[in-house]
Amino acid sequence: MAYHVPPLNILIVEDEALLAMDIEAMILDSGHCVIGEAASLRDVLALDLPASPDVAFVDIQLDGSSGLDVCTLIQERWSATAVVFVTANPKKIPDDFCGAHGVIPKPFSRAGLMSAMRYIEDGICDPPPASAQPSSFLASPKLARAWA
Amino acid sequence: MKQRDDWHLTERVMHENGRGDPFAAAIRGTRMPMVITDPRKDDNPIVFVNEAFQKLSGYGVDEILGRNCRFLQGPDTSSETVAIIRNALAAEEAVSIDILNYRKDGSAFWNALYISPVRGDDGIVQFFFASQLDVTDRIEAQRQIADQKIEVEKQVRARTLDLQEALEEKTLLLHEVDHRVKNNLTMIGALLRLQSRTLGDPKLQQALENMLERIDALAVVHRRLYQSDDITQFDIGAFAANLASDVLASMGRKDIALVQDVDPAFIPASKASATGLILNEIITNAVKHAFVDGRSGTLGLSVKQRDGAVFIELQDDGAGFDPSETHASSIGQSLVTRLSRQIKATTEWHSDSDGTRVSVTFPAAAG
Repeated sequence: MAYHVPPLNILIVEDEALLAMDIEAMILDSGHCVIGEAASLRDVLALDLPASPDVAFVDIQLDGSSGLDVCTLIQERWSATAVVFVTANPKKIPDDFCGAHGVIPKPFSRAGLMSAMRYIEDGICDPPPASAQPSSFLASPKLARAWA
Repeated sequence: MKQRDDWHLTERVMHENGRGDPFAAAIRGTRMPMVITDPRKDDNPIVFVNEAFQKLSGYGVDEILGRNCRFLQGPDTSSETVAIIRNALAAEEAVSIDILNYRKDGSAFWNALYISPVRGDDGIVQFFFASQLDVTDRIEAQRQIADQKIEVEKQVRARTLDLQEALEEKTLLLHEVDHRVKNNLTMIGALLRLQSRTLGDPKLQQALENMLERIDALAVVHRRLYQSDDITQFDIGAFAANLASDVLASMGRKDIALVQDVDPAFIPASKASATGLILNEIITNAVKHAFVDGRSGTLGLSVKQRDGAVFIELQDDGAGFDPSETHASSIGQSLVTRLSRQIKATTEWHSDSDGTRVSVTFPAAAG
C-alpha cells in the first residue's frame, strides 16, 4: 500500500456552506490543500479533480442524499482515499463504517478538528500514527485494530 | 327380599316413602338432586328420581321416570360435553362435568353433574348413580371474571400500544432535537471561528477564543449527555478529566503534567451545563495564568462524590495570583461566582507562591 505524502489533498462533502468554509479554513491552517468541495452525492459524481483526494471529510446527513452512499462512491472512484465522516449523529454509522476510516462527531472544536487532522495525517502517511488518538476522532473498528 | 335388593327397587321405595332402608330414605330426602338409571334396560332410562331433582328440573316424577337423561339437554348444550358423558358411560367410568341443562319451563341452568357406575357383586354395572347441582351462579361469576379479564387484557394491550407509540415518537423527537442542537452548536462555532480569522486585534481574537472555548465546553456537555444511556444524569468526573486533557492538548501544553484522581460523579442533567462551564473557567484559567510565559508544572485534578456532595479540586504549582485583584475585572471570575451560586456550590480560591488551589463543592442532587 502506497503511503500518502503531505501536504494532503482534501475533499470536503458538506451541504452546510458555513461548515464547509470553516473546515476548509482549518485544513488550510493545518498545511493541507482542499482540492474539491461537494454538497451532495450528485456533486461528488460530477467532480473533476486534478488529483485523487488523500482524505475526504463527509457529512452524513446531506441535502437529498446520504453520506454513506457518498463514502461508497468515493471508494469506487478513488480507492486510496481515506473517508472520515463528520456528523452530529455518529450512531447512524453502520458497524463496518462502510469502509470509512472513522468519524469526527459534531460539534467539534478547532483544536479537536486540527488534532484529528494531525492524527489522520500521521496515520495515513506513516502508519501507525505516533500520536495518541484524540478524543475528537473515533476510528472505525477495522482502523482501530490496524493502528493499535 | 334382602335389604340390599330393596334399595334397588327404586320405584317401590319411591312409592313407599319413609319405608325401606335408611340409605334409600336419605337419598330421597336429601337436598342434593339425584337420579338412578338402569343401563340394562333399553336406552338407559331413569328408574329413580328424588324430590330435589324434581324441584330443580321442574318436571314431575311421571315425566321423568323411564326417560333417558338427555331430555335435560337443550339448544346451547355443548355437544362435546355430551360426548364426554356418553364415552364415560360406555366405558363404565365415573364422570364429573359442568353441563348446560334446561328446566321444564325452558330456562337453562348450569349443572355440576357427577355420574358413577354402581356395580353388583359380580362386577357388572347395575345402575348409574347421578347427582346434580345447580352451579349457574358460580359459572356466571366465572364467565363474568373471564369476560372482565379479556376486557382488561384488551385495554392493557391497547394502552401498551399507545405508550409504545408515544415513546417511539418521543425518542424520535429527542434524536431530532439532539441533532439540531449539535448542528446549531457546530454552526455557532463555525461562525465565531470564521469571524476570528478576520480580526486583526489580538485582544479581540483572544476574547473570541475564550468564547469559543466556552461554547466548546457546552457542546461537549451536550454531546456526552446525549451519548449516555441515561440523559438525566451526567458524569461530571469523566467530563472534567476529558476537558482537562483536551484543554492541555488544544493549547499544545505538553510541558504541563496532568495528575488526575477522578471518580465518576453523577449530577442531574439540569446542573451539567453550569458545572461544565465552571470547570472550563477554572481549568483554562489555571493553564493560561498559572503557567504563563512557558512556565511548566503540574496540574492536579480531583473529582470525588460522597455523602450526596460532589468535590472538585484543581491545584496548580504555577504562579499564584492575588484573588482580590482579578475578581472584579474578569468575566471568567464572575461567571464562576454566578454559576456557583446557581448550582449551590461553595467555590474557594486559595493562592500563594506555591500555586493556586480551587475547590468547588456542591450537592449532587437537583434543586
